[in-house]
Amino acid sequence: MAEEQVENLIRKEYAAGFHTLIDSDTLPPGLNEDVVRFISAKKQEPEWMLEWRLQAFRAWQEMTEPSWAHVSYPPVDFQAISYYSAPKSMEDRPKSLDEVDPELLRTYEKLGIPLHEQEVLAGVAMDVVFDSVSVVTTFREKLSEAGVIFCSISEAVQKYPELIKKYLGSVVPQKDNYYAALNSAVFSDGSFVFIPKGVRCPMELSTYFRINEQNTGQFERTLIVAEEGSHVSYLEGCTAPMRDENQMHAAVVELVALDNAEIKYSTVQNWYPGDENGKGGIFNFVTKRGVAHTNAKISWTQVETGSAITWKYPSCILKGDNSVGEFYSVALTNNFQQADTGTKMIHLGKNTRSTIISKGISAGKSSNAYRGLVRMNPGAEGARNYTQCDSLLIGDRCAAHTFPYIESKNPSAVIEHEATTSKVSDDQLFLCQQRGLDAEKAVSMIVNGFCREVFKELPMEFAVEAGKLLEVSLEGAVG
Amino acid sequence: MTDKSITDFQQQALVLAGQQTSPDWLAGLREQGAELWSSAAWPSRKTEHWKYTPLAPLQKVGFGRWADVEADWQDQQEWLDIDATRLVFVNGVFHPEHSSELPAEVVRFGAAEGAARAVIEKHLGKVVDAEKHLFAALSNAWTSDGVLLHVPANQRLEKPLYVIHVSTATAEPATANQRLLLVLENGAQAEVIEHFVSGASEQNGFVNGLTEVVVGENAELHHYRLNLEEENILHVGGVHVDLQRSARLRAFTIAQGSRLKRIDYQVNHRGEGAELDLQGLYLPRNKQLIDYHTEIRHMVPHCTSKEVFHGIVGDSAKAVFNGRIYIHPHAQKTLAELSNKNLLTSNKAEVDTKPELEIYADDVKCAHGATVSQLNLTALYYLQSRGIPRAEAEVMLNFGFINELLQQVAQPAVRAYLGPRLAQLFSPNSELLRHLSYE
Repeated sequence: MAEEQVENLIRKEYAAGFHTLIDSDTLPPGLNEDVVRFISAKKQEPEWMLEWRLQAFRAWQEMTEPSWAHVSYPPVDFQAISYYSAPKSMEDRPKSLDEVDPELLRTYEKLGIPLHEQEVLAGVAMDVVFDSVSVVTTFREKLSEAGVIFCSISEAVQKYPELIKKYLGSVVPQKDNYYAALNSAVFSDGSFVFIPKGVRCPMELSTYFRINEQNTGQFERTLIVAEEGSHVSYLEGCTAPMRDENQMHAAVVELVALDNAEIKYSTVQNWYPGDENGKGGIFNFVTKRGVAHTNAKISWTQVETGSAITWKYPSCILKGDNSVGEFYSVALTNNFQQADTGTKMIHLGKNTRSTIISKGISAGKSSNAYRGLVRMNPGAEGARNYTQCDSLLIGDRCAAHTFPYIESKNPSAVIEHEATTSKVSDDQLFLCQQRGLDAEKAVSMIVNGFCREVFKELPMEFAVEAGKLLEVSLEGAVG
Repeated sequence: MTDKSITDFQQQALVLAGQQTSPDWLAGLREQGAELWSSAAWPSRKTEHWKYTPLAPLQKVGFGRWADVEADWQDQQEWLDIDATRLVFVNGVFHPEHSSELPAEVVRFGAAEGAARAVIEKHLGKVVDAEKHLFAALSNAWTSDGVLLHVPANQRLEKPLYVIHVSTATAEPATANQRLLLVLENGAQAEVIEHFVSGASEQNGFVNGLTEVVVGENAELHHYRLNLEEENILHVGGVHVDLQRSARLRAFTIAQGSRLKRIDYQVNHRGEGAELDLQGLYLPRNKQLIDYHTEIRHMVPHCTSKEVFHGIVGDSAKAVFNGRIYIHPHAQKTLAELSNKNLLTSNKAEVDTKPELEIYADDVKCAHGATVSQLNLTALYYLQSRGIPRAEAEVMLNFGFINELLQQVAQPAVRAYLGPRLAQLFSPNSELLRHLSYE
């Protein structure tokens, strides 16, 4: 085995690692009711919102951190985290991109997301979260013509309180789990999307998240509501600057797909995974869940390559008859990264269908676990599930696990689950090399082939990025 | 439940342990077991290994006494038609009248001396990890009688060992303990059949049956565990195996009956080239609950394991299956497979299955698959279109589903015994069974 090449791969520096110097209006570390009140006041939230946060906070205090996931990390001191930070230049909101802090814009350019170009070329509306506060939202007008609401969640609280009251916490209740409760108490910002009845969202919606402030936890809250017969595709991509201290990240994403609606949610996650000694990196504890009503469809696609710890289970509650849930995932871990990720498909309605395709790749000394639940409730007449989890091991010090929970209470439901684990086969490598490809190229091809089923589900822009990400992480990784 | 307080059942079990008499040299094991048992937290729904299997029946009934042998159990029993060394235990008590004369290889713990005792002391309680298996700790605490099979190096056990455990209904709910230790030295060969049965009348006992197995280098064991008790019995048991270099274990198990039946299979591949072939069937009906937990640990390179479990769950019954394959670092070139297929035949039936892979080595090939469904409607239609009535077609397909494994059973007596009995589960009407073949 080409040990050296593996070493090379492992030593690859984090390509998006840099740190922007912008003054921040940051709260000192610590968490108590006053902090919750401060955040709420800072956002000029109405009383009911504050009350909602406080309920969550009180519930959180009663809860204990879950320990069942197959990850290990030093205990997180929740009092050592600062729960609010906003770029200073936010005091007076920029009206256009020209007014945006040039330092900020350069950050995006380094990341390869020139906003100006994207506005024109990509046709992607950006709701950029730069440390907790939406800095700028583009394409708002074009969307509003179609009746689509796409704004930051704090703006939505002001402008559309009825919608927020109705849907916020309807899929992931405040007390759902430890991190969701924490998020509900202190969420700083995030996106709100509302697609009215019968509307097909004219463009793909996208948010880039960045964590920029040292010691700042990031607690986004995303809520997407697709009314009857509507359709939306949402893209989420993440990358964070290099730093040494662990950062906590606990996001909550809620999707509501009403009758005949369709929501496609795609993620590329490339947060800082820590260095080759396992120092630093983001702790990513995410709760993502969608409810699909009659004939609705929810599709999760994720490419997870970053974070030191990933704890993430995008789930579908297939409530309505004939609703469809999909989960396509590529999770790659390297060095000392640990991932425990998967999905839950809860079949409640008749003839509900779900598909799970999960591809795990572990390299270095990392650990990569798929954890999934497929549940057929007594009412899930004629429901169907197909699950395939494949793991690829690169190097003999990594680990790959599969923990699928399968529960069926309806005889007419059909569940199929398959999982395999293997390394990049010597035969395949030999074949490619014998045809004149070098070993690196061959591995890259094989890994790309391994992930193809998932990549083809990604929107174009992301498919390119995802392929690139894997290549960066896996060049030279000849098993 | 508060952390430190132990439950009523735990308390009762300790009292029972105190009532057992046993040779002095077992005292250490028993004390350790009692210590672990009383310090362990009682499993709840949040205990991963007992997530789907509530132990409430144990708490509710209250098993405050040891069972004793009572009359009229003989007539109801039908046993395997096999030329074997037969040992009969009734409610955990050895029954010499119905048992064969013991060959030199088979020794009861109470009668063990010299070399046999040394073998027991070397292995008993060492294969099973009582810290992880609560009821193994209990079995240790309860050890009094038990059976050792010790096959010397390069020898073949002449006749299969056939251990029958009969449970009978007693006036009050009572408890029985069953302990078996199978040691095959290098190059030895043996066949062992464990058969759990109970009288047809109302059962109310609790059986804790633990088997430890050591298969030496290049030795081969065929092991059967048939759990065919009636409706209401509670049974917790385990088979824990160490496989040495190039050892082979071919195991078959079936579970049927019982309000609560939990059986653990733990197989440790400790020597290179060890092979495991494990097949199982479970057929819970009425309000029964059957739970199989298997854990295959590959600790060294070049081992293989193949595991297949099929289940048919009817009425309001529930089946739980947990199949874990654990590959240690350095256990390269491992081949491990697991397949679990389930049929649900009723609206109230439930299956909870979890095939797990935990892998710490890269050059391995591991796969598992699990399915849950009802009978294949296309297959039913096909048979009907050939003029076979639906009821009969269902019986054929159900039986075919388990016969797939039954056919592979090596011991003809086991096949012949199980075939007709299992077929009858699918229909009491023998007309519908006329086309089934049991060979």
